Amino acid sequence: MKITIEHLTKQYGDFKAVDDLNLEIGDGELVGLLGPSGCGKSTTLFMLSGLTEPSAGRILFGDNDVTTIPPEDREIGLVFQNYALYPHMTVLENIMFPLINRKVPKQEARDRAEKMAAVVHLEGLLNRKPKALSGGQQQRVAIARALVKRPKVLLLDEPLSNLDAKLRVETREEIRRIQQEVQITTIFVTHDQEEAMSISDRIAVMDRGVLQQYEKPQEMYLNPVNEFVANFLGMPQINMFEGEITADGVWLNGHLLRSRQEMAAGQNLAPGKYRMGIRPENFELTADGPQQTASHVRMTGRDLLVFFKLDETEMRLLAHSDRQLERGSKFSARVRPGQLTIFGADGKTLAKV
Amino acid sequence: MQHNQTVARRLRGCKGYLYLAPSLIILLVFTVYPLIKAFAMSFCEDYSIIDGSFKGINLQNYQDLFADEVFLKALSNTTIYVVFVVPLSILLSLVLAVLIHNSLRGKALFQTLYFLPYVTSVIAIGIVWSWIFNSNYGLLNYFLSLFGIPAIPWLNDPHYALAALIIFSIWKSLAFNILIFLSGLASISQEIYQAARIDSTPRLRVFFKITVPQLRPIIVYAVLMGLINAFKVYNEVFSLFQSKAGPANSAITVVYYIYDKFYNSGDYGVASAAAVVLFVIILVLTMVQKSIAKEKEEA
Repeated sequence: MKITIEHLTKQYGDFKAVDDLNLEIGDGELVGLLGPSGCGKSTTLFMLSGLTEPSAGRILFGDNDVTTIPPEDREIGLVFQNYALYPHMTVLENIMFPLINRKVPKQEARDRAEKMAAVVHLEGLLNRKPKALSGGQQQRVAIARALVKRPKVLLLDEPLSNLDAKLRVETREEIRRIQQEVQITTIFVTHDQEEAMSISDRIAVMDRGVLQQYEKPQEMYLNPVNEFVANFLGMPQINMFEGEITADGVWLNGHLLRSRQEMAAGQNLAPGKYRMGIRPENFELTADGPQQTASHVRMTGRDLLVFFKLDETEMRLLAHSDRQLERGSKFSARVRPGQLTIFGADGKTLAKV
Repeated sequence: MQHNQTVARRLRGCKGYLYLAPSLIILLVFTVYPLIKAFAMSFCEDYSIIDGSFKGINLQNYQDLFADEVFLKALSNTTIYVVFVVPLSILLSLVLAVLIHNSLRGKALFQTLYFLPYVTSVIAIGIVWSWIFNSNYGLLNYFLSLFGIPAIPWLNDPHYALAALIIFSIWKSLAFNILIFLSGLASISQEIYQAARIDSTPRLRVFFKITVPQLRPIIVYAVLMGLINAFKVYNEVFSLFQSKAGPANSAITVVYYIYDKFYNSGDYGVASAAAVVLFVIILVLTMVQKSIAKEKEEA
């Protein structure tokens, strides 16, 4: 089921929780709504579910305008952040509940619920009550309950936020697997950029109710449209600073980051001060050049995270973990070609040089 | 040194009991002692409260009690009363609580209204209700007359006295039940109701499959308290029938019987025996009810 969101707005008094959102989600796509808390991602999800009424705009499922259709008639499955399982019912009863409500005969409801439980690997737990299950298991009951009625759209509100780190990675793969298996258009809300990037077909990044960028994860990571997206994606975070472009090239505190001849793009940028960003992995260590001093070094396993200062500006650099670097070590580094991002005064990306 | 510490600890223990002493003494004098005394008195034939003398220790009081038609009448009245008041009151207050909880407008007004009976003196309410029940000028008969039902002598006819008492008591018990149901309803997560909407649950099913099971512990509590209070019904009788037990004792209850035997007839032994019988009934019912509730919990 294709979903089209047109000029969707939700206003609470003077506050615009969602502001003129336009989004198209293809049939069978898995889309992550990503942003900090209060950015309007959950409000958007709840408007899709019908539990929240939009102030303006339209939502289309396929060619049908569902904007005024109540949640019970929208043919959606919704997984709540806290799962909202019925605590007095067993796992099987929870999964069967939506079917019984739709007057599916009991035996058929039971068969379908059992089959769905198998899809989410809940066999053997069917007679347990929710409180006797782990967080990950409750999560899967919630997904099974949402999917058993064969909805056209699956909505997940921060589905992984209540799980511990290891389970989170497992469960997100699980969600991806189930989603591919039942081929259902899925939208999920998260504030975790890594989570969004790892399983989404496309990501919609929102900030203060406004859509920032809607793109495939890799494309978005490599080419963020603005400072906000560049900042929000990536761990460790991108290095952000104010530099200067002159006739000679790009400068930071008297250090030449890129000479004019080396600039692949941005030749047309007027001299002056600009906001700039360098991802930590886009530094490369060189044999010669001006020397820097590591102020401290953190071993993360695959990488070494090296902190150093370009005069007043603190920088983070990722180096391969076999490098012999420690606190106080001297080294030379440069920014990989085309990986220095220049932002305009309005925060929009101007060029990567 | 070791010795001093032990003494200090013992003194500290004493201090704890000193703090408890006032309430413990009151409890002992006014609750525990009368309980034991009443139990003892029930086995004393012809007990005199003035000099504490009695003829002998036997079951004479109990024999007299069960031979007394008035007591049997009180027992059957109380049973009928409990059977009607407890379920009806709980059902009605549950429905009202859900309606109040779901209606956004006028919530504050309702909250004042339903709580009024709880904070007003039973005697005052009883007087008001005895006017409502008045056969010639009463509000209830007026409403019934609108439907063509002839005037019913609620308080003057032995056939209707118990019914009047039951109506009055249901109304009076609503306040407390609605209050605890409302607090229970407020504690149910809204997400569960949203999930029920997403699952296309019909309204009645939401009530029976989600609200009622979620309120189960509170309903169990309300039934238990309702049972105990209903068996002890006395104030309601006293106030509705102006300190009588209805026409020709038609609305007499066990506690009213105990009171009457004790203060009016001076049959202290028989009154105590009736009190012990009531105690045993309530104890057994409470235990049965609790074990049923527990069984369901585990199922």
